[in-house]
Parts: sequence; C-alpha cells; structure tokens
Amino acid sequence: MYSANENGESQTKSWNVLVFMGAVILFFTILLVRLYSLQYTHYDENMQRSENNRIRKVELVAERGYIYDRNGVMLVRNRPSYQIALSAMGLPRKKADRDSVFNRLLRITDKDGVRIFDSLSVDTAFQRSRWIKNRPIRFYEDASTEQVALIEEHSSELPGVITVIESRREYPYGTLASHVLGYTSEISEEQLKLPEYENYSQGDRIGQKGLEQGYDQEFRGKNGVKLVEVNASGREIGVVDGVEGMAPVPGLHLVSTIDLKLQKVAEEAIPDSAKGALVAIDPRNGEILAMVSSPRLDPNIFSLKRKERNKGWAQVALDAMHPLTNRAISGTYTPASVFKLVTAGAGLENGILSESKYYSKPCTGGYQYGSRYQKCWGTHGNLNVVHAIRLSCDVFFYQAGLDIDMARINEFGRRYGLGENPLGIDIPGEKGGWLPDSASFNAKNKRLGWRWARGLILNLSIGQGQLVTPLQQAVLVGSLATNKGVYKPHLMKELRKSDGTVVKRFEPEIIRPGNMKPETHRVLMAAMDSVVNHPGGTGKRGAVPGIRVGAKTGSGEWKKGEKTHAWYAAVAPLDNPEIAVAVIMEAAGGGGAVSGPIARKVLMAYFGKEDEPK
Amino acid sequence: MSTGRFLDKSLKFDWVFMIVTLALMTSGVVLVYSATSNEDVVFYESFWFKQIVYFCSGILLAAGIVFLKIHWLKRITVPFYAVALILLCVVLFFAGDVVKGAGRWIDLGFLKLQPSEFAKIAYLLTISYWLSKHPVSLFKIKSFAMPFVLFIVPFALVLKQPDLSTALVFIAVTYVGFFFAGLTLTDMFLLASPVFSVLFSHSQTMAFQILWGLLICAVVFALVRRRLPKVLTVVFLAANILAGYASSMAWNMLEPHQQKRVNTFLDPMSDPLGDGYQVLQSLTAIGSGGLTGKGFGNGTQTNLAFLPEEHTDFIFSVLGEQFGFAGCAFILLLYAIFLWRASSICKLYSDPFITLVTMGACTIFLFHIIVNIAMTVGLMPVTGLPLPFLSYGGSFALTCMVLVGGLMCMRYQGQRE
Repeated sequence: MYSANENGESQTKSWNVLVFMGAVILFFTILLVRLYSLQYTHYDENMQRSENNRIRKVELVAERGYIYDRNGVMLVRNRPSYQIALSAMGLPRKKADRDSVFNRLLRITDKDGVRIFDSLSVDTAFQRSRWIKNRPIRFYEDASTEQVALIEEHSSELPGVITVIESRREYPYGTLASHVLGYTSEISEEQLKLPEYENYSQGDRIGQKGLEQGYDQEFRGKNGVKLVEVNASGREIGVVDGVEGMAPVPGLHLVSTIDLKLQKVAEEAIPDSAKGALVAIDPRNGEILAMVSSPRLDPNIFSLKRKERNKGWAQVALDAMHPLTNRAISGTYTPASVFKLVTAGAGLENGILSESKYYSKPCTGGYQYGSRYQKCWGTHGNLNVVHAIRLSCDVFFYQAGLDIDMARINEFGRRYGLGENPLGIDIPGEKGGWLPDSASFNAKNKRLGWRWARGLILNLSIGQGQLVTPLQQAVLVGSLATNKGVYKPHLMKELRKSDGTVVKRFEPEIIRPGNMKPETHRVLMAAMDSVVNHPGGTGKRGAVPGIRVGAKTGSGEWKKGEKTHAWYAAVAPLDNPEIAVAVIMEAAGGGGAVSGPIARKVLMAYFGKEDEPK
Repeated sequence: MSTGRFLDKSLKFDWVFMIVTLALMTSGVVLVYSATSNEDVVFYESFWFKQIVYFCSGILLAAGIVFLKIHWLKRITVPFYAVALILLCVVLFFAGDVVKGAGRWIDLGFLKLQPSEFAKIAYLLTISYWLSKHPVSLFKIKSFAMPFVLFIVPFALVLKQPDLSTALVFIAVTYVGFFFAGLTLTDMFLLASPVFSVLFSHSQTMAFQILWGLLICAVVFALVRRRLPKVLTVVFLAANILAGYASSMAWNMLEPHQQKRVNTFLDPMSDPLGDGYQVLQSLTAIGSGGLTGKGFGNGTQTNLAFLPEEHTDFIFSVLGEQFGFAGCAFILLLYAIFLWRASSICKLYSDPFITLVTMGACTIFLFHIIVNIAMTVGLMPVTGLPLPFLSYGGSFALTCMVLVGGLMCMRYQGQRE
C-alpha cells in the first residue's frame, strides 16, 4: 500500500483521518444528546433530588454471634452502647459556623457542672471530619442515657453531631475462661495488611485471641446496607423509594465445649496471684471441658471507653506475669516425671520392660553414670515398672532410658500427641512442644556449642529437657487411658443460627494413632492407678472417693534454687475414661502436693461428689 | 532536509494545539480545586496544587520530548518495549499492593510507578514501528502474526493485574493502528462485527433480534464485496453466528448470581447499593447542573462529598453540576479541536511511522474521554479510566503530557522526503 504513488497514498490517509474524526464527532454527539437529556429534559427531577433528597449509603452492622457453654449458658453477649459522633456531611460548611458548634459542644456540662467532652478528642474529631466524609467520627464512647438525652435536646444547635448506637461485647462472668473466649477490639493497622483480613476495613471490631479470633468470620455475619434520604442538616428522613436495602445477616452463635460449672470450680481452685494453667478434656472426642490460664484478664476492659480501655490495656500488657498469654496452650514447660509414663510405655511396648523386670542396681538415692552421679529424690530400693511409676523413682528410669534409647521413647510420645507439631486446637496461639533427639538437640544448641551425648538420656528419660504444653499433657494421659487414638482438641461444639438451627457440628477427628499393645496398656493403667490409690503413691492427694482415678505427678526443675513447677495429670475413671485433667502451677513445689488437690476439685465437681464436712 | 526546519515555523509549531491543551489543563486544575476546596489543608498539600505540579513537570517532560529525533525513537522501540514487559512482570509477580489484591504499582518511595501507563506508550511506539514497516492485509493472514504477538503479551499481563479497562486501551490502539496500516473501512467493520453480534444477541428482545439479523446481512454483503479468501469468509461468518449463539448459550449456563454480576457491570443502575450508587449520585449531580450550571464552587452534590471519587474518575460530574450543559459542551469542543489538530499532523508527512504514532496517541485520548464520560453519564460500566487533563492523578497526567510531547515531536521533527 505504501508503495502506491504519493498522491494516492496521502489521499487514503486523509480519508482515514476523516473517518477517525467522523467517529469522534459521532461519539461526542451521543454524549451531548445524553447530557442534554439529563440536564434539560430531566433537569427538574434531578434538581429536586439534589436540593431536597440527598441520598446516602448507610451500613447496617450485623450483630455479632454469642458464645454459650455446652449446656446452653450464655458466656458472651452484646450490649447496646451509645456513641456521640460527628457526621461530616451534616456539619456547617463555613469555618466560623463549625467553630461555634465546636464551642457549644465544649460548653455542655452534666448536672454537676462538669464538662462532658474534653477538647482534645472533640478537636481531633473535627480535624478528621475534613477528610472522613462517609462515616460517623466517634469522639465520645459509651455515653450514658442522660448524656444522650442532653445531646438530643441540643440537636438544633449542634448540626452534624449525632448519636450512634453500636453493640459492644459483654462478658458476664468477667475473667472466667477469658483466655478461651478472647476479646474484641478495633482492627489494628498491622492486621489490616494481612491477607486473611482482606475483607475487613478500618474501624471494624474484630475478635482477638481465643474463640473470638478463631471464629471471627462466623461471629461477624454479614453487614447490610441501605440507601436513605437525608435532609439539609443531615438527618435521615426515610429510605429511598424503589431501592431495596440489604438486611444484615447476624453472626452465628457458638456453643462451646466448655462446661461452666467445671470451669468455675477450676477457676476458683487456681488463685489469680499464681502463675499456672489447667486443661480438662474429654479424651473420647477431644472436647475441652475447662481451660484456665492464670493470671487472667477481664475482656470487658476492651469494651470500655477509650481512656479506661487504654488504662486497662496498659495494665495487662505491661504486667510481668503476662496475663495475656494463654499458658494452657502456649506455655511450654518441661514435662517432668509425667513423662515417665512415656518412657515406661516405650519400654513395655518394645519388650524391654515388663512387670517382672527388675534392674540390677536398686535405688540407693542416686545412680553412677560414668563420672557423673545422678541423684534420685528419695531412696526406693529394688523396683519394677509399676512401683517405679508409683514412687516416681528416677534411678529406675535412668537405667530404663539407657536401655530403651531416645528414638523409641520419642516415637511412643509422638503417638500420643507430644512433640513439635501443635495439636491444632481451634483457637489461635497454640505452640508445639519439643522431644529432643541427637539431631534436633545439636541443631538447637549449635550456637552454644553443646553436642548430644548419651548421658543426656538420663535426664530426658525422667522428663527433664523436653517441652510440652499443658494441653499436650492432658491429651497424653487421656489418650493413654483410652488407647483409642488421639482426638483433635477443640472448643467449638456447634455453630447455630440465631433461630437455633445448627449450622455446623465439630466432627471428632483422630490426629495421632495413640495405640499400644493391650499388655502395655494394662501395666500402665495399673501404674497410674497405684499412683493415686496406693497408700504410698505420689498422687494420693488427688484421689476421688468411689471413682478410680489414674494420675502421674511431676515436679519440673527449671531454675536452680527455685521451687519446682508442679505438674499433675489425671484421668478418670480408669476403666472407661471420660475426663483427663492436667494442672501446672509454676514454681509452686511438688506436683502431688500442690497440683493434685486442684485436679481433684475438678474431678470431684465433674463426678458430682462433694467432700464431707470435716 | 529539503525544507529548512526554522523556515517553516507555522508548519512546525501548532499554536491552536498548544492553546487547547493549556485550556484543558487549566480547566482540570479549576475543577479539581472546586471538587476538593472544602478540605482545608495547606495549599501545597492540596490536590489542585499537586495537580499543577504534575502538569508543570509534564510540560517540562513534553518540552524535552519535542527534541527527540524520530529515527532515535524508531531505534529505541524494541528496548523500550522489553523494559515495559519486564516492569509489567515485576509488578505482577514481585511487587504489587498486597492489601488490595491487585498489583498495579511499583513503589519507589518518592513516586509510585504504574507500569501499565508506561506500557501504553511503549506499545504504541512498538506497534507503530512494526506496522510502518509491514502493512497488514486481510489477503495476507500472515501479516497479522507479528502484530498479534506484540499485542498479546502486554495485553495479557495488564489483564492479569487485573486492569480490564487499561487492557482495552491496547485493543483500541491496535484496532486503529490496523486501519492506518492498510485495512479498509469494510475490513474494520468485519473485524468489529463479532463484538456487535455478542451485544445484539445478548438481549432476547425483538428489536435486538432484528438488529442482529441486519448485522449478519451486512456482514454477508461486506464479505461478498471484499472477495476475501474463502477461509476468511467462512471464519467471519462463523464467528458472527457463533458469537451470537455462544453468548446466549454461555449466558444461560451461568449461575443466577454470576448473571447478576455481569448485569451489574453492564448496567450499574441495576445495583444501586454498589457501583450504581456512584452513578446515581453522578447523574443527579450532572442533571442538577441544568443548562448553565450552578456556578463555580456551588456544587451541592459534589461539594458535600456525596461522590467518593469526585476529583479523579468522576471529575466530569463536577463539571456538569457547576457549569451545566454549556460547560460540558465547551470541554467536548476543546477535546474535538485537540483531536482534530493532533490527527492532522499525520497529513503533513508521508512517513507511516508518524501517521501510526499520531493516530495511536489520538486513539488513547479518545478512548479515555469516551469511556470516562460515558461512565459518568451512566451509558457505560464503571471502569475507572481517568479523563485526560481533567482527572486528578500524577501518573496519568504524566502519560498525557508524554503523549502531547510525542505529538509535538512528530510535527516538529517530521521530514518531508
């Protein structure tokens, strides 16, 4: 085409440009016709609409779902909360008028003559009103009904000042199960940047920690929206005709596996001044019946006014006792003598231990290994495995551990939920433990230059050196007793709609094999039984009359010169296990003496027993 | 250099074009000022001032571009194109705004680079360069192979971002490029006909069925007249008929909620709580402007911030409300003059590269103008293409000024052979 003569080519080009400009004229004409129709033919109705009816989009916040205990008692609900806010579009446009609204607001006093609003927060709200146009800007939270009445009274002098009703979380039992329930607060800047929060926007209240976070999506429901017409001063006069709003879909209610009665007993048994944790679980399906972490926090502080909220938050966040941590799932401790059940189990399973096996070296208060002399906590004499567990003799397990070897012990422990992998409980923050072997020990201590040595087995076989969470400990004794597999621990039993229909049930799920030979099982059960029910057992203070309780005590050394961490892990009834309890009290002393009675209280409550008055 | 560059100043320097461009930019600043004036911020943080800064830097950039030699431009097309593709890949796979899900920006700290804007220009140069050497013809199907390859890569990358409206700019540039690289008006009609087939057969009403029938007749007539190779004849016919049936079949296969989503896109007013909300407010704003408008700064709709994006995508509704039909017509007139002066450049020279670059730039402007205004007056889906010279935004302002610079460069540097 370009090879055609100059003349013909430029003529074609001119023609093409003409066509292009023709298209331009055509398109522009269509636009002009449309503009003419809007601005001339339909001018009156559009003018009317712009003058009188200002249309606004209002978001209808869905009500957050409640939390119940397993018997239907309400643990978390919502309460109405009045917020005093600025609506940027209702504010006067002139600066002088805005300033007079500002001054009038500051002059409002309650009946004692005290100013209600402080100038700083009101000023901040006015500042923000310059660029936040489409949603109310709160400057006074949780107003009392008198304060709301006062504002409504003066509404004509205060254009742009509105009251907004919101719902806030309320935890009627205060600190009870606070770590299980979690709390709600405004979404943080960091969270907004995470991909899992991409459907959230600034100012949303979201669940933090516990069930509130774990099931935030389910609790939230779906916000609705409606178009409303407002008059010149920004007050709603009605819904736009012909436009159907979208009603909010309330969030789902959650029925938890927590048993309020049991939880209360457990909470009372552990004083808030102590650091410790308790987990009670149903080993047959993984339902957590009670979970305590001490010290606690009161989730209600997050629903308070900003000032009080900040004060409360500062208190818990800076507390050296770390009340924010849920020790039951994210505290990792050395398992101490409770781990002897694993060592014994591995020995029995591999044919190295049996009821008739006695070691050549009786317990004389210690054990000579190479150049080291490892002590025992007492002098126990010649023992078999059942006796050794009952008395928690270290010397027996030093020898057993060396015989069995770490790989087999760890393998047996992992079958019952110990180890580095968290169990997958349905609230955030769960940590895994640690079962050291030569490889992971060397890797972890590379910087310190420590190397694995066979002598370490001595300590590890009595449970000094591993890490477990209280949850893992409860799961361990529970599944040892059932011998039917480890069920995924969970706190959600059912999700229900507000009309009560069940949307989802938690299906029990086996996550670890949790199996051993019947003979191993029999011997271990006999041992756990004798810990509690034999007069010489270390755990006899955890006995419950009429119920066959099996348990193992532990006293974890963690720092020279400090009292030991007191462990007590129990399961009952031994013949047909229904409940497993693990208790740890940090730096409190011996397991049987300190934690045993706490576990006992929970078991007594579970089986409906009461102590006879002394 | 048969014609001395400095001897023929009237040819080399288009005062009308300059004045119209400056008038459009001034209108833009005025409208941005009016749309955002109620936000009391220090002037150097205000939108209108930033817009002036963007335009001034754009003018400097354009002034620099005027002195680029055309044979340089031809030489840098390939590396330019490669850089654009790399940037698109970078933004798609490595950088990107994770929060919003769509990666469109590369954040360099001091400025946010939008590779798709860069790619528009790079693609325009590249496709123009190729087509200027290798004209296309429907009688030689092979001639479309390379342009297709050049087109599909940046197109797919931008579409993946996902930025549908910018991807459509690439289609528009290619389409018009073909027109100036050898295709006839009939060919253009044939190329576009399957799209019309989809549009007409989508609706089941009688009127549209008849329209579709007429369209098929016109296609047959065009095919007979053009005497294309048999294969192509069959392909065009089949494409039209299939497009018609396939679209309604595909439509019926969609789930109701998917159908609703497509409908909402095509007709925002069917969803007054979502996109329709903005369009509803925009229509009210424009309509209430009347013939002469409410006057500068008196827009109740826009100034009360009913329109969330009044200073960017919906700037035209600010214009409509405050200056009425007269103001809108005036701006459209300015645009028409701008396009007329720009497109006339290519008549001066015989170099097909100049023709293609000029008309491609005009196409980019025209596409943005039409899609944006049609959106604000409720004729087209809400897509988010800005309005050249009027919408607030640094990245796009610079693109526009680079294109203006390129147009002036073509006129200034072009040589008669």
